[in-house]
Formats: sequence, structure tokens, C-alpha cells
Amino acid sequence: MRGKVPFRAVLRSEWSKLRSVRAPWWCSAIYLLVVGGAGWLAAAGTDTAPSAAVATSIALTGFGVGQVVLVVLGVLAVTVEFSSGMALASLTAVPRRTRLLVAKTLVVAVWCALLSLFLVVVCVLAAHVQTAVPGGMSMRDPDVLRALALQVGAAALTGVLAVGLGAVLRSTAGAVGAGLALVLLLPPALALSGGSWQVRLSQALPALRVGEDAFLAAATTWQVGMAVIGAWAVAAWVLGAVLLERRDV
Amino acid sequence: MIEIEGLTKAYRSRIAVDDLTVTVEPGRVTGFLGPNGSGKTTTMRCILGLTRPTAGTATVLGRPYRELAQPMRRVGALIDPRARHGGRTAYAHLRVLAQSNAVPQRRVDEVIELVGLGPVAHERVRGFSLGMAQRLGIAVALLGDPDVLVLDEPVNGLDPEGIRWMRELLRDLADEGRTVLVSSHLMSEMEATADHLVVLGQGRLLADLPMTDLLGRHAAVRVRSPQASLLARALERAGAAVDYEPDGSLWIEGMDVVEVGDVAYLSGLRVHELTQITASLESAYLALTQDELEYQAVPL
Repeated sequence: MRGKVPFRAVLRSEWSKLRSVRAPWWCSAIYLLVVGGAGWLAAAGTDTAPSAAVATSIALTGFGVGQVVLVVLGVLAVTVEFSSGMALASLTAVPRRTRLLVAKTLVVAVWCALLSLFLVVVCVLAAHVQTAVPGGMSMRDPDVLRALALQVGAAALTGVLAVGLGAVLRSTAGAVGAGLALVLLLPPALALSGGSWQVRLSQALPALRVGEDAFLAAATTWQVGMAVIGAWAVAAWVLGAVLLERRDV
Repeated sequence: MIEIEGLTKAYRSRIAVDDLTVTVEPGRVTGFLGPNGSGKTTTMRCILGLTRPTAGTATVLGRPYRELAQPMRRVGALIDPRARHGGRTAYAHLRVLAQSNAVPQRRVDEVIELVGLGPVAHERVRGFSLGMAQRLGIAVALLGDPDVLVLDEPVNGLDPEGIRWMRELLRDLADEGRTVLVSSHLMSEMEATADHLVVLGQGRLLADLPMTDLLGRHAAVRVRSPQASLLARALERAGAAVDYEPDGSLWIEGMDVVEVGDVAYLSGLRVHELTQITASLESAYLALTQDELEYQAVPL
């Protein structure tokens, strides 16, 4: 009975929170449907591809739009606490606020990663079944594996970014709006406007199709893509944690 | 025990709590009174680390709330009955909070029965009435079987049966040696429950005293006499404050029945009625806060 409450207790509580309301289930279902459906259709529309990497990349197209759902899921995990008033109870129960945010972030990030892991397998399967590739498709192809790992990692980071935005802005509309602008609207808008600094800026914005085919945005290498989304996620999260500690509930 | 020292919370345009120093002792129910906007809720939020004070400190059991190792086992709090997600069931709401402090699952079942929400445990709290939401909030406060309770308006919205239940619950908790700080606007309820009072006015401490002291201070004696004017003069000479009631009886403050009876006897005056009037908390409280308002209105 003595001693500090173990961190896994807070983690378990946050996991229960996510499971016990409907919104995360809706978000997850839509994510699976959009990304899985788009992947299957894209693969179905591609009879042949020059390499397994290209076939995989095509099948993963849906992630470009699907990330929107992850932004909503991550933002809601935080903002619903404030809009419902639950934050009063949550922060009274766990007054070490950063601890609470770490637990919430871990739950969201792991959930995003698990959903995405399932989806990349579905997408590769779609390519394997529907797209003819010289030499055949294999999950063990390093190019394919790298694309899959990047997608799962980027999904987790998008979740972290969304949680951070939620903690900074506290409003669902504000945080979802900011998240969509960052990951969906600005990267292609800037890239399409064409100037060289706009393209640079576009490359410095987080996008779930790290590197690869950047969903209308200016492409980068995957290393740069991961670094960019990682930097945004960490920055938003740290700012969110600092503000959460400082502000009144 | 809750210790508040020099607590001040200033918002941009006003001061909600102004240099408040008070100690809430265990083993008794401390009633927290004050007009709307007098700083009661802000003080409670500062105690719970939800609001950061501009100056001063609030500690619970000797430590700032945010440094407590097991917050729910030390302090049970009800700040707002709407502090819940409408889409969760009562049971799920209690479970997520219990889990966050490693409170065992069976305690959830216990408190849900204790507050009488058993039949609706698996309904979404969105549809709950204010009274049911209050009961859920009280269930949350009791989850960790805490040493200290901080309850903001817990009887708000409760039915008469619920109010009586609440009164007995607070009594039992205090008798078990716990610290109970409870605010309410229902004066008759507070009079029946609290042992000690802390009264705020415009963010400042107006009174910190046992209930009986405040009531005694505003007690009076009513005397009916066929020689009322002679008796009034005799009483005034002896130092009492005397008023005439519309029915001709005298209203005496500053003396008890024994003193009034002695004055009448020594003056050789007849007395037909001699009654101790006990003040209600409501009138004593209104007199106290009224004094404060008048004091405020006088320019220095």
C-alpha cells in the first residue's frame, strides 16, 4: 500500500480510457477501412510493377489520407478530457501531469502502430496477390521491409504529434485543424505552389508517407522524412507537456 | 490535515483568494462558507493542485498535493459533478480512475453500491441527473478510502434521502478521524453537519471558529414584561442591547437568560416570559457576511 503508484497503473488506466468510449473505435474502424481499402484498390489497379518496392509503395498509398484519422484519434484522446470536464478527475487522480501525458501518449502511439502494422501486412498482401513483379513479391525483401517499418514508425509519431497538439491547444477543433494543416494540407499546397523555398518548407513539414511517394508533397529521402516527423512530434509533445504542467485546469 | 498559508490567487481582473491562512483539522467536519465568488472553489482547487496559486502554499498531510505518492488514497475530492466523460458508464468511469492509483477493482463495486448507483452502474453517465452525477462524484472521492476529503457542494442536486445519507456519511468519516472539508450553500444542512466553520468573503477569511461559537455570538433573549420600559432601561444600564418587538416584548442581545432574569429580580420587575433564542446558522452567517459588505462599503 505504501510507496508510489506504479507507472503501469497509470498506463492501464489510460488504456481503459481509450477503450471505454466510442470515438477511438470509430477512428480505428475508419482508418482500417480507408487505408486497407485504398491499398487494395491501388494494388488492384496496378497489374505490374518494376520492383517489389514500387508495388509496395503503391499499395501503401492509402496512408497519405489515412493519417488524418490518426490525427483525430490522438487529438481526441487529450481534448475530450478538457471538453468533457474529465480532466478535473484525471488530474486530481494523477497530479503528476507529465506522467499522465506520457502514459496517454504511449497508449495512443502503440495503438496507432498496431493498427498500422496490421494495415501494412494487408497492403503488402494486396500487392502480392494483385500486382505482378519481376522476381515476385516477398515480405523478406529489405526494401519492402523498410517501407513497412517506416510506415508503422511514422504512424506512431503522428499519434505523438496529435497528442502534443491536443495538449497545446486543448480544443478539438483547433488541434484537429492544426494537425490537418500540418500533415495533409500544407505539404502538397506548398509543393504545388512551386517556389523553391515553398518546396523546402513543404519538405520540412510532417507527412506520413515519410520520403517515398510524399502524397503530392515534395519528396525527400526517408531519413529526412523520419527526422522531420520525429522533430515535429517531439516539439509539439514537449510544448504540450510544459503547458500542461503550467496551466490551471 | 490541510494547511493553507498566505494563499493568494489573482486572475487578470480580480483577486479570487486573498492571503488566506487557515488549518483544517482532522476528526471534525469543517464547513466552508461564503457568498458566490468568495473564493471557496478556487481555494479547493489550489488544495488539489488543479490551480496554481499566485502566492502562498496549500499542503495536505504535510505535502503539496502534487507531490503525494498515492493521491487517491490520501485525498478524496469532489470539485465538479460534471467531471466525467458522458460516453462512459458509471462503472467504467470509476474503473479508469481506480486503475490510475492501483486501487483494486473490488473497491469499485463497493463504492458503487455505497452511493446507491448499483442499478445504473452499466449505463452511460451522459443520461444521469445532477443527483446521480453527484453520487458518482462522491463515489470517486471515496474510491481510495482517503484520509482527507475535499467536497465542493456535495449535496447540490441530491434528494432529501440523499441529503440525509450525505450528512451521516460526513459525520461517520469525521468520527473515524478523517479530515473533512465541505462547502455548501444550504445553511440548514451545514448547521446539521458541520462542527467547525471557515467563512470567506471576497477571498478573505471572515471567520474560523466552532459552529457553537458563531451561533452563541448571535443568540438572543426574549422577555415579556408588563413593565417593559422600566426593564429595558435596567437592562441597558447593565450593558445589554435592547430592542422592542412589534408585540411589545423585548429582544435582548449580549446577555443570557440567567443574567436577564437576575437584572429583573434585582430591579423588582415582573417577568411573564423569558426565552433563550438560539440563532440559526443562516441568520448568523448573513449577519457575518453583511458586516463584511458594510465594512467594504466604508471608504477608509
